[in-house]
Amino acid sequence: MPGNGLPKRAAAVAIPALAFAGLAWLLGAEREWEIVTILVGFLAVLVVLDRTQPGRAVAAACRAERSVANATAVIATLVVLWTFREEHFALLMVATVALSATACVGLNIQMAFGGIANFAAAAFFTLGAYTAAVLTGHTALPHLLVLAAGGAVTSVLGLVLLLPVLRTRGHYVALVTIAFGLLLRNLLEVNDTFGGPQGMKIPAFAPFGFDFGTITSIAGIEVSFYLPYALAAAALFGMAFLAARCLELSWIGIAIDAVRTDPIAASTFGLSPARWKATAFLIGNAMIGVAGALYGMMNGFVNPNGAGFGESLTLISIVVLGGLGNLWGTVAASAVVLALPEKLQPIQEYRLLIFAAVVIAILRFRPGGLLPRPLRVLGSRDGVEA
Amino acid sequence: MTAPLLACSGLTMRFGGLVALDGLDIAVERGTTIGLVGPNGSGKTTFFNVLTGLYRPSAGAAALADEDIFAKSPQAIGRAGVARTFQHCRLMLDQSVFDNIALGALRHRHLGLAAQFFRRRRLREEIDALVDQVRQLANRFNPAIATALFEPAGSFTMIDRRRIEICRALIANPRLLLLDEPSAGMTPEETRRLMDDLLEFRRESPDLAVILVEHEMDVIRRVSNRCIVLNFGRKIFEGSFEALIEDRDVQTAYLGSGH
Repeated sequence: MPGNGLPKRAAAVAIPALAFAGLAWLLGAEREWEIVTILVGFLAVLVVLDRTQPGRAVAAACRAERSVANATAVIATLVVLWTFREEHFALLMVATVALSATACVGLNIQMAFGGIANFAAAAFFTLGAYTAAVLTGHTALPHLLVLAAGGAVTSVLGLVLLLPVLRTRGHYVALVTIAFGLLLRNLLEVNDTFGGPQGMKIPAFAPFGFDFGTITSIAGIEVSFYLPYALAAAALFGMAFLAARCLELSWIGIAIDAVRTDPIAASTFGLSPARWKATAFLIGNAMIGVAGALYGMMNGFVNPNGAGFGESLTLISIVVLGGLGNLWGTVAASAVVLALPEKLQPIQEYRLLIFAAVVIAILRFRPGGLLPRPLRVLGSRDGVEA
Repeated sequence: MTAPLLACSGLTMRFGGLVALDGLDIAVERGTTIGLVGPNGSGKTTFFNVLTGLYRPSAGAAALADEDIFAKSPQAIGRAGVARTFQHCRLMLDQSVFDNIALGALRHRHLGLAAQFFRRRRLREEIDALVDQVRQLANRFNPAIATALFEPAGSFTMIDRRRIEICRALIANPRLLLLDEPSAGMTPEETRRLMDDLLEFRRESPDLAVILVEHEMDVIRRVSNRCIVLNFGRKIFEGSFEALIEDRDVQTAYLGSGH
């Protein structure tokens, strides 16, 4: 270990803790000046981390001590959830952000790693919810398996898109997926089997017999019934995060990056572009489907509106804004895209304006997104300069 | 004498009306280095693209160790032991040097999903072993590359990128190595050093067959056992370097008639 191990670790604890503290403040803030202060604070911290020498050193320390930073994030999440244990709206927001981030981890695997521009992400997300609706309505399948089935069905239906996706490139992939999204949405709308435009009801998530819809207290302490959902959503994000990291830091991670950047060179060296693009696409879809299934159970219903093109664009903008290929970026960008407009309610008529200005500013000054994708460093770190 | 490693007969490649390769018969034995020369547009790179399966030839046959090459996909040809570099560098510039070189070794690795998710310790050992191997290999070509394996490949100069490409081809442990103008854009001194490295590598793997496309006659003289000259897709000469510089057809092809 280098001599400056301790300060590095301190930085890896401080930065995520600070970020989560800021998010928590934002979550509870109601007055305009608070919200604006937090936003300015976030931007200031970003500028310092990005543009100054000590700032860059701190950011590098966070990357080097990744496991410390991640552990801090887990603890911070639990603390935030417990602080807001009675606030329905804040917890709903946390759960929504976590589930959208989970779906965006899947979308990241497809877009940033596999190079497949999936403009039907919300359609697949909704498909997960419909799967949950059908399975909970017609079978007695345990709910954890229902979640898994949401991912499996979404993945299998994604196979329909696989052939056209593998045979086209760039904008054409986007067109194919846009067409699929429209098709699915219209099908759900006109077909009465799945409830038509009204959609379907979904019972509350109840793993191992704990019905999330009826929980009002944990160990005698009163809590919102959204608390278990927020916890489950955060756990789901954690699992998706872990799986995506394992994938990125493996031979398959190199293979998927290689077929994206240069399919010709990759195939010369024995990799099949079709195989690895399909792998990225199907794994990504499974994550999107699972997130959608839990989201449907939390909302209690699903309708075709969620499968719209606008919703897919929102998910894509989260991935791009967060930084293509950065997994924590999905959380930061989900908070900006989903939670910030809600928080700006008090300044009603200006809220979309401020939101748009923030997005444009981020993409102007940080084209790589809020948190750009870090370079993959495989193997033990000896011989690598910090 | 055993059959040659690579045997091409009547290899022909037409693009519409253009005949890029015209009935090529080329045999390459194990352990030899062939210098492939010819004016621009004479079909050298097309020959490589056909051998690696990127183009399907219009006619003719090619066998690698008695196995039909053209029955295979590009991936399968790669796995059968053909590795190459490209005339214009094809690296993942945003990825680390290690990722780029490791790409060459992937065909010898377990790529099952379960192996990546559930055997993390074994995977980590494999990765560490490859890091050592890559570091040793890169160290031969340029120690500066070996100490910066986890820098993006795009941060290196053209010469180092070419070295990285050659390392990527060598780490694949090929039976047939195709080098497409490795010295392009290098100074004579850099070229000389690159050739030293290659010759040394050559000595350690005596069975490796190499086809080298090159314009620098000095390079050809130093490293090749035999020379082949292409012109308009046809083989117009095959023999030693000494015979090559005396050959009238070759002089005509390069300098035009009247010399």
